[in-house]
Amino acid sequence: MGELDALRIRDEVLQAMYWMRSEGLADAPAVSELARFLALSATALAPYLERLAGENLLEHTGDGFALTPAGEKLGKRTFAEEFADLTRPAHGECDEDCLCHSSPEEAARCLEERTGHAY
Amino acid sequence: MPTSRSLAPALPRNFLRPCILLLLREHPAHGYELLERVRPFGFDGSDPGALYRALRALERDSLVRSAWEKSSSGPDRRIYQITRKGAEELHRQARALARVGGTLGVFLSRYEEFVALPRADARGPQDLSVLRTR
Repeated sequence: MGELDALRIRDEVLQAMYWMRSEGLADAPAVSELARFLALSATALAPYLERLAGENLLEHTGDGFALTPAGEKLGKRTFAEEFADLTRPAHGECDEDCLCHSSPEEAARCLEERTGHAY
Repeated sequence: MPTSRSLAPALPRNFLRPCILLLLREHPAHGYELLERVRPFGFDGSDPGALYRALRALERDSLVRSAWEKSSSGPDRRIYQITRKGAEELHRQARALARVGGTLGVFLSRYEEFVALPRADARGPQDLSVLRTR
């Protein structure tokens, strides 16, 4: 188990479990359920879940695992950070197909979206 | 041999992606709501992981973005909305689907000169409340 893989899977698991919980789909998914959700092998995933339990980010609950308060906090935080730099392109990064070229109103909307400010 | 009842509709590859983009173009939504709203497009809602992974991929491609929304009854939830790049991608995919639809229409109309086919059943959203834990 490489440390980089462990960190990547830690984030994937905590984020997915937070999402499942917040959407009301599962509070304590079984290993097989979580593996299917993430499209991973249950056999490969199980040791990572045990490791997260050892780090007090998950806890055993019957057949499955649940987020601890620390796991919930970390899952929520890394979820928000995951795409923070991707989803808000800088001003001027729109391409030739951008709708902003169709009208002044669309251009204003484009600028607003890309800068995060209303003009 | 499988019967027609056991066959899933043959959906275009990665069809979930334009469906999500279309639904988000209609209005921003949470994951669970999207799970319900993709049903009329042939997805039965039994694999919420597929929706989750598709949303993640769309967000990674900057076609969708999400933000936390406070919930009064549980943890904060991600609310998803389409980006401008996503709207442009949706338009490209809709045009491609229109071309496929036209070709299929030609095929079906010529086949129906021999055999009448049943119209596709218009399945509405079904109750997914059994999936929820709260």
